[in-house]
Amino acid sequence: MINTVIKVENLHKYYGDHHLFKGINLDIQKGEVVVFIGPSGSGKSTFLRCINGLEYFQEGEIAVNDIELHSINRLRPSKEDMETIRKIRLKVGMVFQQFNLFPHMTVMENIIEAPTRVLGINKNEAVEDAISLLRRINIERKANSYPDELSGGEQQRVAIARALAMKPEAMLFDEPTSSLDPEMVGEVLSVIKDLVEEGMTTLIATHEMGFAREVADRVVVFDKGDIIEIGTPDEIFTNPKTERTRIFLSRILKI
Amino acid sequence: MKKFLKIFSFIICLSALFYWTIPTQSDTCNTLEKIKKRGYLLWGSDAEGGAPYAFPDPKDPSRLIGFEVDLAEAIARELGVKARQSQNAWDSLIPALKRGDFDMVMNGIEITPQRQAEVLFSLPYYIYTEQLVVRKEETKIKDINDLKGKKVGTLSGAVAQDILTNLGGVDVKIYSGQVEPYEDLALGRLDAVLLDLPIAAYYAKPNPKLKYTGNPVGEGFYGIAIRKDDDELKKKIDEILIKLLKSGELKKIYEKWDLWNDTQEKLFKVAKESKDYVTLEEIKKAPIYTFFPNLLRGAGITILISFSSMALAIVLGLIITILRLYGRPPLSTAATAYIEIYRGTPLLIQLYILYYGLPNIGISLSPLLAAFIGLGMNYAAYESELYRAGINAVPKGQMEAALSLGMTQSLAIKRIIMPQAVRIALPGVTNDFIALFKDSSLVSVIAMVELTKTYSILAATTLRFFELGLIVAFLYFVMSYPLSLFAKKLEERLKGPMR
Repeated sequence: MINTVIKVENLHKYYGDHHLFKGINLDIQKGEVVVFIGPSGSGKSTFLRCINGLEYFQEGEIAVNDIELHSINRLRPSKEDMETIRKIRLKVGMVFQQFNLFPHMTVMENIIEAPTRVLGINKNEAVEDAISLLRRINIERKANSYPDELSGGEQQRVAIARALAMKPEAMLFDEPTSSLDPEMVGEVLSVIKDLVEEGMTTLIATHEMGFAREVADRVVVFDKGDIIEIGTPDEIFTNPKTERTRIFLSRILKI
Repeated sequence: MKKFLKIFSFIICLSALFYWTIPTQSDTCNTLEKIKKRGYLLWGSDAEGGAPYAFPDPKDPSRLIGFEVDLAEAIARELGVKARQSQNAWDSLIPALKRGDFDMVMNGIEITPQRQAEVLFSLPYYIYTEQLVVRKEETKIKDINDLKGKKVGTLSGAVAQDILTNLGGVDVKIYSGQVEPYEDLALGRLDAVLLDLPIAAYYAKPNPKLKYTGNPVGEGFYGIAIRKDDDELKKKIDEILIKLLKSGELKKIYEKWDLWNDTQEKLFKVAKESKDYVTLEEIKKAPIYTFFPNLLRGAGITILISFSSMALAIVLGLIITILRLYGRPPLSTAATAYIEIYRGTPLLIQLYILYYGLPNIGISLSPLLAAFIGLGMNYAAYESELYRAGINAVPKGQMEAALSLGMTQSLAIKRIIMPQAVRIALPGVTNDFIALFKDSSLVSVIAMVELTKTYSILAATTLRFFELGLIVAFLYFVMSYPLSLFAKKLEERLKGPMR
């Protein structure tokens, strides 16, 4: 129990009348790599967004380290709830399908914005950190470019660096390669792989099955808001227990 | 495309045709005959605040009453026809007469050499004097010689304006309606008002806060204005006026309106002398550049009002937007209500309420302050909508990315959303500035003499509507064109990537 970083208990989420999550439970250990797969709309992205407080949930509890977040009133979260969500976000970095770099800022400004303004790190220090991050993802020379001057793959790598600059305890990747041209998928996945090898606690929602099999400690299969199966990559990909998993995998692997 | 061009040129031709067939001058055909054929006499006047001359009957506003209405009916009766009034702004009654909009103008038009160069005048039908009015408790101002350094209100284009200007050292405030100067006097915005006695008799005499002071000054004549080539109509109307004078009917009309005084006896003398009692003088042919200082001062005021109220609109609009989008009720509700109310009511009404309405509840604003607040608050509603559109155009992912980095919502708005939204909204804001620039002419209704008001005053005095109009239009253009170039440039620059 000491090593649990993220704990999800009895999570319920409704979209209006639609009951998407009907009491999900999931613990994630420190350094663990969990990959979420499943058809589009199955809830894997929504699940990650709930952890980061970008989606509200009506019942249950999410805890990151010791910070506990209980169900949120969707219309008017209280000041304390907002502050709890913010504390969680400081522990958990997020990378989006659409990159979401700030278009009016250079690569360098994108990366140092939050460390300087949110954590209060002084600018020189933040710039130094940023340079070493950019070196790691191998686009140091684009530090003064604007996002629209970068390729999709480069933008996503910068987005990862931007999240890492906040020194999070865990990283959430929400379909990080889904809007990339095929030739750019590799460079982004290799950055994530490096991160995983350094021991970062990582949650990834993805359709890249080969990658899932390669990096995952555990694979979680979502369908219609339910977790239908959890297991090691070998268990899931070679010997799925449920019919629904088998159908999903056969469909996606054929394509 | 060709078809479209064809239709387009057809429409142009058609409208040109219409333009040329509209009678622009009175036809050679005699107006007197036309009146008889038509069966009614069409006379022009301004009934807005027109008591006791011609104004809507308070008991039945669809009916006009006033001493000039009575007189017009008497004249029409003598002509064997009915009288019909045609409404027209006082400032432009003479141009409208010349254009052929009506047969004659009777609306307290003073017989002056400038006007005689433009139109024919009948024999005078009333001898007016100028009456000085002050507040009840005023003791220092006894007659017009005490007016140096005082704020004195009068009507645009009235003889009283010339009298005040010629006194020198008087701070003359020009109004376009006759109600407002007395209101401002009662409120303490003016020290005195100098206007024709009939106006004072109706508006000032019954007001317990005001009183007459000094003897009436500047005797002059009201005459009926007739087009230059209508000698026959003039002759006929003169005959009728003499008849009404001799029969005592004219006196009866004036007594009914409490306007008869000893001065009016002189009408008999004037009638006896007949013919032209005022010699036709040289037209006021001052070179056009003598008006430049006045026009430039007006333009300066226009710039001052536009820039200051735009600054207010930009800042206030921003506050309203943020309250509306991110505030909680009741603040967000109030912001929405503000926008809807300001966009849903005319600016003119807002200005009237601000300047003439607020004093009713004890808040009195200077014209400049009222103009600044009125325009600024109105445009704030529009700027706010532009910002809102700008904010909504920023992709949702930007806010999510900012929040996921641990930013508070307000930091995210300030650092991530607003810089992008402003870029999107900026061309619209610049365009609004150009619109505000021209809307600033509306503040002339609250005694603010900016460029448009300067124009209407100068043009009404000199009757040189055309050349002064061109100059004023040119001044507006010179001021707004750079803005529009700037807007264009901005738009081109912002079309590209967001940096």
